[in-house]
Amino acid sequence: MLKSKAIWLGFCSLVGSIGLNAQDCQLTLRGYVREEGTETPLAYASVFIREAGKSTSTDENGYFVLPNLCKNTAYTVEVRHLECAHFTEIVRIAETVEVCFHLHHDNTLPEVMVHEKAIVPRPSNAEVQVSAADLEATRGQNLGETLKRLPGVTLLNTGATISKPVIQGLHSNRIAIVNNGVALESQQWGSEHAPEIDPFAAEKISVVKGAAGVRYGVGAMAGAVVLEPAPLRETKGLGGWLSLGGFSNGRAGVAAGAADWHLPGKSLTFRLQGTAKRSGNLRAPDYFLGNTGALELNFSALAGWKSAHWKHEISASQFSQRIGILRSAHVGNLTDLQLAIDSPTPLNNRDEFSYELLRPYQTVQHQTLKYKAVLRLSDRWKLSNQYSFQYNNRREYDVVRSTGSAATKAQVAFRLWSNTLDAALEHLPIRNWQGGIGVQAVQQTNFVSKGGFIPDYQSFGGGIWAVERWRKFPGPWEFEIGLRYDFRQTHATTDGNFVDLDTIVRFGNVSGTAGILYHAGQYWTFSLNTGQAWRPPHVNELFARGVHHGAGTYEEGSPTLLPEKAWNTNLSARFERNRWSAMATFYRNSIRDFIYLDPSLNAVLTVRGAFPAYYYRQAEQAVLQGFDGNFSIPLPKGFAVEGACSLLRGQRKTPNAETQFDWLPLMPADRFQYGFRWGHKQGYLRLSANTVRRQTRIPEAGLLKAAPNGFTVLNFDAAHTFLIFKDKKPLEIGLTLQNLGNTRYREYLNFFRYYADEPGLNLGLRAKFTF
Amino acid sequence: MIHNTKIAVRNFLFVLMAAGLFVAGCKDDDITVEENITKVEVQITGGGIDKKFAWEDADGDGGNAPTIETITLLPNVAYSAHIHVYDGATEINDEIEGESNDHLFTFTVTGANLTVSELNTDANGAPFGLESRWTSAASSTGTVNIKLYHEPTDKSNASNPGGDVDFDVTFPVQIQ
Repeated sequence: MLKSKAIWLGFCSLVGSIGLNAQDCQLTLRGYVREEGTETPLAYASVFIREAGKSTSTDENGYFVLPNLCKNTAYTVEVRHLECAHFTEIVRIAETVEVCFHLHHDNTLPEVMVHEKAIVPRPSNAEVQVSAADLEATRGQNLGETLKRLPGVTLLNTGATISKPVIQGLHSNRIAIVNNGVALESQQWGSEHAPEIDPFAAEKISVVKGAAGVRYGVGAMAGAVVLEPAPLRETKGLGGWLSLGGFSNGRAGVAAGAADWHLPGKSLTFRLQGTAKRSGNLRAPDYFLGNTGALELNFSALAGWKSAHWKHEISASQFSQRIGILRSAHVGNLTDLQLAIDSPTPLNNRDEFSYELLRPYQTVQHQTLKYKAVLRLSDRWKLSNQYSFQYNNRREYDVVRSTGSAATKAQVAFRLWSNTLDAALEHLPIRNWQGGIGVQAVQQTNFVSKGGFIPDYQSFGGGIWAVERWRKFPGPWEFEIGLRYDFRQTHATTDGNFVDLDTIVRFGNVSGTAGILYHAGQYWTFSLNTGQAWRPPHVNELFARGVHHGAGTYEEGSPTLLPEKAWNTNLSARFERNRWSAMATFYRNSIRDFIYLDPSLNAVLTVRGAFPAYYYRQAEQAVLQGFDGNFSIPLPKGFAVEGACSLLRGQRKTPNAETQFDWLPLMPADRFQYGFRWGHKQGYLRLSANTVRRQTRIPEAGLLKAAPNGFTVLNFDAAHTFLIFKDKKPLEIGLTLQNLGNTRYREYLNFFRYYADEPGLNLGLRAKFTF
Repeated sequence: MIHNTKIAVRNFLFVLMAAGLFVAGCKDDDITVEENITKVEVQITGGGIDKKFAWEDADGDGGNAPTIETITLLPNVAYSAHIHVYDGATEINDEIEGESNDHLFTFTVTGANLTVSELNTDANGAPFGLESRWTSAASSTGTVNIKLYHEPTDKSNASNPGGDVDFDVTFPVQIQ
């Protein structure tokens, strides 16, 4: 046995233990790449033998095979993993035996090792990942808060508690949220319908920007938020974590925990995870925001087991939430709305602290069931099958007469059942090509209560895709190509107070992606990706009819809409060296048949007065282009200066020959983040500022209320990890201070900017114990 | 291995069927009750007449436009007006009267020579307005706007009492 240890630039070290047997050039080097200590297999690590010009990647079990090697020859083996740059080791092969490379992560590096499960490589699109430190620092807050520090990602808010991610200006039905391999299916068409995701269940959250339809389906026309849970425990015994947190604003408390149990003598692991959260009225600098509390209770259970060729994973999760809506935001008609808008302080506001959740509020439950089975067909090929079931139950409770028949009931209910079946045949590199093909089938049933803005529908769909990526190690070039066809059929029906509707619409189209990556030396990576993606118009765009109270508008769908087709190109440069890092992405997203709400000049008369009418229309083209970037430059003594920025310009073509283009509504304003960070082995302090400029690029038709002024908000966060008990278990204590100066400000992309300021100072304290 | 695959396929089908059962028979509307006001009626009595004038939008917001009747009155008569509020075929006056403290009807006359006064009062003695006195003068035409406020914060300020508007309807008025 041969043992060696090497440290590469303090990032990663690799321990290889090799024993080999001989027969001329018929030897096979096979084995595992694992994380040191936990023995977690490292998937998608590339293993390259320079002299033989052979390369491969580890599969999901960290396993690799390199055949046809010669006896007693010195080979330079390079092992690369996403986070670890590359490591080189010279080995002399004597016999065919399995080897084990142990890759371990240096403690000083804040990022956690990536455990890539799929063979099909990650997209060549611009991609950003929430750093482990940011993920921990935002624990206890909603998904939006977790994502908003990423360049190119902003939020669409309905108050502080309801937030939706916006990727490069687009959101809702134009992006996909993929949680544990399942694309979230809920009422995402609604701007006040936040994604039903518990960020505590995820260990890794990344955002893929641009057309990601080939990998994530028609929902991912403008990008995807991808959440992955921590891999199940691979070693025997019990392990997990417990997290407690408290926030001063809203007097919120959060408790979450997870435990993995790996059965002795079996390849079976269970996990139970849960989160409970309660918060009361938030406070803006000058007043409480009445009825803005929330209650949340989530749990998930996972089980995984393996046999010689099969790997099974079953998971079930439930997300349930009850969110109060600012009472001041409940307005009956346009006159009320104008009064609310003109008032400097919120009207009808109970300016006091309370945990009580009164009408208006909404409740949502989301259940997900998933079964995945992976069959290893050979050393190179595997077949994955996945079935997922989702049930989304949303109810909205309005302010009603307390003695009426409505007093105990919801006013609107949406229920959506989704069944999705996926199959994929994936392969490790064959002549340097790695990728797979797959099929997908989707079925959905949606029931909406009487008067629920959108009709009932039943939809069926399917897709077929193929993605391949070429790389010849250690060559600097990588190429990617992918193609997908999707089909959707939706049968929409209504009864009750809608005009009777019984219509079937069918849409089908092709998505494609092509990418080039160039690894310039060890530190630089350049990528160019261009892709086409599409999405069918959603039922709300086709058939909606009613008053949208939050916005004070009457909205009506158009049944003749065509699918939107996006052509997205992005160019990225990334630099990573020691503590230096920088990323820059330029993008252009051109969307043909862009669907938008067109303000017509007429008003619709309702029993609550006249409302301005908006109709869903298609613009010939909309173009969104911009720049996202971030950097971190180390200074002496553990200090670093950090920054990020997101710039975006969004326009649509108008038939008006003079102006030709009009600014799109609700486009994020220019946004800059900058600050200092001081870090050491077990902790860090960070002071950062967030400056948002006033949005001056607004549609010609004007806004109900002028865009809010620009603002700068200061934030502070710090964390320290203590090693406690004899066996040195980590206990992380963290502190966050949001809106340090208790600044009064309003966000352009928050619907409640009409009524109230954003929350003020918020002090958060958290502790996480890992066992 | 073929055997295993078969089992897997069977498993999938089973789960699919189980999920199908979930969906079956779920269409029930009794989980929600909407507060929809589809019709507002003004019942005018006095001067030898007892007539109802309706503002109705039977198919809800949008779609077909509401039908609005013109309130025709004789000059120089003091009428009693009584408002009837409907959700479809159901009159919801009892709900509104039961919470009279939390409701206020307001009347704004434009153009016509008509005075609305003597609004009836709620349980606390504050203005309510389900019943009122309408006094006509010389022949004229115009409109009367009737609003129902829910949870008003200041009942003494009829032009801006606060709260939400449950309905906001305008009738043409003809005095001849």
